[in-house]
Amino acid sequence: MSDPDPIIQMHGITKRFGGVTALRNVDLTAYAGEVLAIVGDNGAGKSTLIKVLTGVYQPTEGHITFDGQPLVMTSHADAIANGIDAVYQNLAIADHLTPAQNLFLGSELTKKVMGFPILDNRRMTEQATAVLKDRLGVQLKSMDVMTESLSGGQRQAVAIARAVRHDDLRVLVMDEPTAALGPQETARTLKLIEVLKAQGLAVIVISHALDDVFEISDRIHVMRRGERAGVVRTADTTSQEVLGLITGANLANGGAAA
Amino acid sequence: MSDTATPQTFATRIEPYMGILGPMVMILMIALFMGAVEPARYFRLSNINQILLDAALYMPMAMAMTFVITQRGIDLSIGSVAALSAIMMAFLIKQYDFPAWVAVIICLVLGAGMGLINGLVITVFRVPDLIGTLAMDLVYRGFALVLAKGLVLARFPDLITEIGRGQALQFLPTPVVIGLLTLIGGYILLRATHFGRYTISIGSNPEASEMTGISVDRHRVYAYVLMGTMAALGGLLLTGKLNAVQATSAPYFNLHVIAAVVVGGTSLFGGRASMIGSLAGVLLLSMMINALVTLRIEFFWQSVASGVVIILSVAIYTWLQKKDRDGGGGLASALANPDNRKVGLLALSLAAAILILLVLGSVFGGAPAP
Repeated sequence: MSDPDPIIQMHGITKRFGGVTALRNVDLTAYAGEVLAIVGDNGAGKSTLIKVLTGVYQPTEGHITFDGQPLVMTSHADAIANGIDAVYQNLAIADHLTPAQNLFLGSELTKKVMGFPILDNRRMTEQATAVLKDRLGVQLKSMDVMTESLSGGQRQAVAIARAVRHDDLRVLVMDEPTAALGPQETARTLKLIEVLKAQGLAVIVISHALDDVFEISDRIHVMRRGERAGVVRTADTTSQEVLGLITGANLANGGAAA
Repeated sequence: MSDTATPQTFATRIEPYMGILGPMVMILMIALFMGAVEPARYFRLSNINQILLDAALYMPMAMAMTFVITQRGIDLSIGSVAALSAIMMAFLIKQYDFPAWVAVIICLVLGAGMGLINGLVITVFRVPDLIGTLAMDLVYRGFALVLAKGLVLARFPDLITEIGRGQALQFLPTPVVIGLLTLIGGYILLRATHFGRYTISIGSNPEASEMTGISVDRHRVYAYVLMGTMAALGGLLLTGKLNAVQATSAPYFNLHVIAAVVVGGTSLFGGRASMIGSLAGVLLLSMMINALVTLRIEFFWQSVASGVVIILSVAIYTWLQKKDRDGGGGLASALANPDNRKVGLLALSLAAAILILLVLGSVFGGAPAP
């Protein structure tokens, strides 16, 4: 899975907000076809790190390389143009629109009627159905209902589908995808992540749920107090060790965490 | 417990159509009531024409207000916008001998301009829409008074009376045709344009819309410009209908239009729009007011009726949208709730205070004057 060339690398990222240093000299590497989990305590800098990665924040120091080329992003739109997108914890979905309308929100398909651009609702619904089915294996009972009426997992699928709708998507960042979901919905969302990974995307998942992290991730990147506490291969580690990295407890003493 | 399941599934099934069904049921109720009480006068062709003429006045504004309210906004200035733009039009025609069609277009553009000012007050100066449009209502009304003083401008060219009460199209009065056309235009705008789509998304989730790259403020300004234009059209229709205009014209446009839109199922909490519902709401209010007139109920009761209809419809829609209707436990458990008891106690003591004061007053006051 971890082919030698990483798709995206962050080198020595430091981010300061006034006097507060949120990130200090953080490196991050992500490969295509791999799930990288970012874990850490509250305030460890996970969210800031992915906001830098998705162009929302600009690093104070350090740089990002994408496919080996240096990449400078001035906004989230730059990130999307380069094939990096994020699914936020609150999903950023308009509840009163249908799934298809949400998928194309902000970049609607249009057709010309007597020279006027008119929204092409039928084509959007068709393409949205196709994206949900082909990329995520999700089939909704009806595409004409408000997104509000869908289950948590289905809403998550809609939010993910909005990101993967772009064929040139390379890196998908997911912030706490399972935080608000029940066990069944969590299992479904984890399956979606597997599917995306199999399609060769680099998936970066922020999560508090170590069980989920161990189930889906290939590598775990641990943040602690704005620094990288370590990166471990999921197959070679235990939750004890990861907890130790998160809390900073001495591993030699047998991980007094938990 | 089996009986609670049936209404819930029924409610979820009809929920998408509530915007149309709600007013339809109420329209039917009014029709049935009037059919029982006063069928001869209420269902006369001339009276139905009267109802439609009255409703037509509010149709363009209800269309635009649907957009404003769907975006979680509100516009309280429409009555003054209508009066001011109509008065300026009247002056251009009467004093400066402008051709009527030029003055009509100027009237609409002026309305759009006032809507633009409203929109900018709200999006640039960040004045909350309720306060912003209420203040602008005062400003526009003040300008109208400054311009017209106490004058009533009357007798306009044929074009304007045709727009306001003409019958050139045989089947329906011209204003009704204009009103219905604006509603159809609004329906298309809502369903098939970026503006309509973003209106719903902004009302549904402003933060998400912003994150998706939608220019939230720009589309909110668009909605207020549309509202201003339609308010000016409302002023024009009113001027044509009465063949006269004055600075105090159109006093309760704002509440009447908001009532019609809300009764039609457009949610004040944003995101839920129903253009057909707004048409039904306008018709409902016109039928209701006409019914009050037909029944020879004093004019002043109209505002009581409008207020009650607003409160009832908002309360009913809120109740219908509540997903969990179990566990209410009825009146007894509501009374057992300590909060409710305190409110009840407050209400009782207010009633007692009024009663005691009335008794005291009558004891010391003597017999009522004839």
